Amino acid sequence: MKTEFLGFELKNPVIIAAGPWNRDGKSIKKAFESGAAAAVTETIVSDTISDVCPKIAFDGMGAENIRLYSDIQVEGWKNEMQIAKSGGGVVIASITAHTPSELAYLAIKLESFGADAIEINLSSPMGESIEVFASNPECVYNMTKAVVKSIKIPVMVKLSQNTTNISEVAKAAKQAGCRAVSAINTIRCILGVDIETMKPCLSTYGGYSGVPIRPIGLASVAAVSQAVDIPVCGVGGIENFKNVLEYISLGASAVQVGTAVMLHGHKIIEKILSDLEKWSQEKNIHNVSEIRGLALKNLKSFEDIRFEPNVCDSDSGIKCDDGCIKCINSCIYSAIKKNGDDVIIEKSRCTGCGLCNFICPAAKLKLTW
Amino acid sequence: MNIKEIAKKAGVSVATVSRVLNHPENVAEETKQRIREVMEESDYTPNWFARGLNMKKTNTLGLIIPDILNPEYMEVAKGVEDVAQQMDYTILMCSCENDVEKERKYIDIFIKRRIDGIVLISSLLNDKDIEEVRKRDIPVVAIGENQELTCETAMIKIDCRNAAYMAVNHIIKNGFRDIAIIYGSTPFKENKEKLEGYISALKAEKIDINKEHIVETGNSAEDGYLAAKKLIKSPNPPRAIFASSDMLAIGIVACMRDCEVKVPEEMAVVGFDNIQMSKLIEPKLTTVDKPMHKMGVVGARLLFDIIDRKNSDESMKMPEIMLQCKLKVRKSCGHKERIGEMF
Repeated sequence: MKTEFLGFELKNPVIIAAGPWNRDGKSIKKAFESGAAAAVTETIVSDTISDVCPKIAFDGMGAENIRLYSDIQVEGWKNEMQIAKSGGGVVIASITAHTPSELAYLAIKLESFGADAIEINLSSPMGESIEVFASNPECVYNMTKAVVKSIKIPVMVKLSQNTTNISEVAKAAKQAGCRAVSAINTIRCILGVDIETMKPCLSTYGGYSGVPIRPIGLASVAAVSQAVDIPVCGVGGIENFKNVLEYISLGASAVQVGTAVMLHGHKIIEKILSDLEKWSQEKNIHNVSEIRGLALKNLKSFEDIRFEPNVCDSDSGIKCDDGCIKCINSCIYSAIKKNGDDVIIEKSRCTGCGLCNFICPAAKLKLTW
Repeated sequence: MNIKEIAKKAGVSVATVSRVLNHPENVAEETKQRIREVMEESDYTPNWFARGLNMKKTNTLGLIIPDILNPEYMEVAKGVEDVAQQMDYTILMCSCENDVEKERKYIDIFIKRRIDGIVLISSLLNDKDIEEVRKRDIPVVAIGENQELTCETAMIKIDCRNAAYMAVNHIIKNGFRDIAIIYGSTPFKENKEKLEGYISALKAEKIDINKEHIVETGNSAEDGYLAAKKLIKSPNPPRAIFASSDMLAIGIVACMRDCEVKVPEEMAVVGFDNIQMSKLIEPKLTTVDKPMHKMGVVGARLLFDIIDRKNSDESMKMPEIMLQCKLKVRKSCGHKERIGEMF
């Protein structure tokens, strides 16, 4: 399934996100070998920062990292970029800085080294200030503008949920002339605390990524897609082809996968791509544009949600002898009871909240009217 | 042994030996190997000066710093060196001890030694001096501002006015209103801007400016010590002091200790620069984090860009890169929230 993104025709919509898995030319080549159409370098800075360890934590659901930026100086990226480009995919250089002129200078350097595009990262929640740059539309505008007017290659801005209104930030980035935006970056977090030692998982605030941030990413991509008409790249918690399609259906032209590569290796990209290919063959869909934003139409304002007197169907009782009582425990309205092997729903008590439909492991409960 | 003798011994021309040294990619592998073996046997190293003349470059940068004893400049110099090393360049570093005549003399030496480019840190040179160097087609980058320059120069700067405003505003937010400033004599322009930032931060909070609380002094810790002593002995001593450099601030903290004035309870102190020592003294110094190493790195990088473009036809606009200063909250300012220290 092809897509047009940042002025490139990509053979598929999967891009490997910025991160240590794309730390040098060799690892980016590996990204292309897995089939990804493009890869974003680990974020490159003017002056490298000394590394810390440990720097990554995982709790079985999401990951926290305090890994800060590329440890290869700009000079070194001249060579790494050549190696990365020999892999045949689109190489996007991720950069960050603290002033417009510093950022623009980095962009000029990376363009001269052969980067195909730039992703501006103004939203890493680690080690920066309490408010990241991407919190503030004016700041994003100034930074983006400085880069856009200094280089010829396309520019994408990575947005953050660490702001009150992500759509406003996207508008500022668009106004400054960026060709696309990506959403979302990691979210500031503390993964947990060891209550024996009273030590947080990692020794400072980190960035949260992985499956748990996907719903936030999806909402952000939808909100941004509804606010600006430039292409959007969906990022956050993608681990299978369905997630890719979810992002696309909410307006994304392409997606980025990061944490899944960190947790499962590059083979997860191969799996996502082969499943995606199979799905698109079955559905006879060959370009992302055919399905992009289709789910946005079904996203309504609260007042437009039609009132339907939905309740759980219970006329005859539902046969269930699994010994499972999850639905009964979770019914906040006490409408579900068990009678022998039957699950009985008291229609007069059921408010049609819908929770039991998601709770039932056998998918036996349904709302109807 | 010289290049001619090597050529003779290896049975090749002088030009071939020269190519092995300077453009080895253009020499057949077998020949290259043979010549290198002869060089090794004869313990031959090329004549560095002769090579510079011939190649029209010496792979040397000139670096002038105002004061070799000031750790601030050493961190900038380290940044310059880190990039130079990767580019296979050596640095000739000179300290001019804040003397413009000495600085001019060093520039003259650099030109005579045919260095490929010059990095000036907080230079005292004026427009005319810099034009002189540029006329000789030697690329120059200035890091930090000391004099008002109007000529087009590649430059790395920081916004001292804004940074000082931020620092003084932070002191006010911590509940202090009698705030003095002690500033050094150099870098002249940056310190003037820090003073302006101090005044506008006080004005913004409608605090009257007390002229006795504006003190100019030298640049050493000792100068800071003495200036602070004078302030606390005055009829209306301040409750907080903003210093234009960490060296001054360290002197101020030492003076308070000797005079048994508690920092920050009785006297808050905030510095500027964030030199490594500032987190080692007690109480740890709240300061403005000046990206000194980064200034050196980006400055050197810019210089190599200009050196690279020297032989190309396209004219290059001399860029100015502004780097950001950040407030580094520690203990000496009397700040109570931990979150401020985290970021």
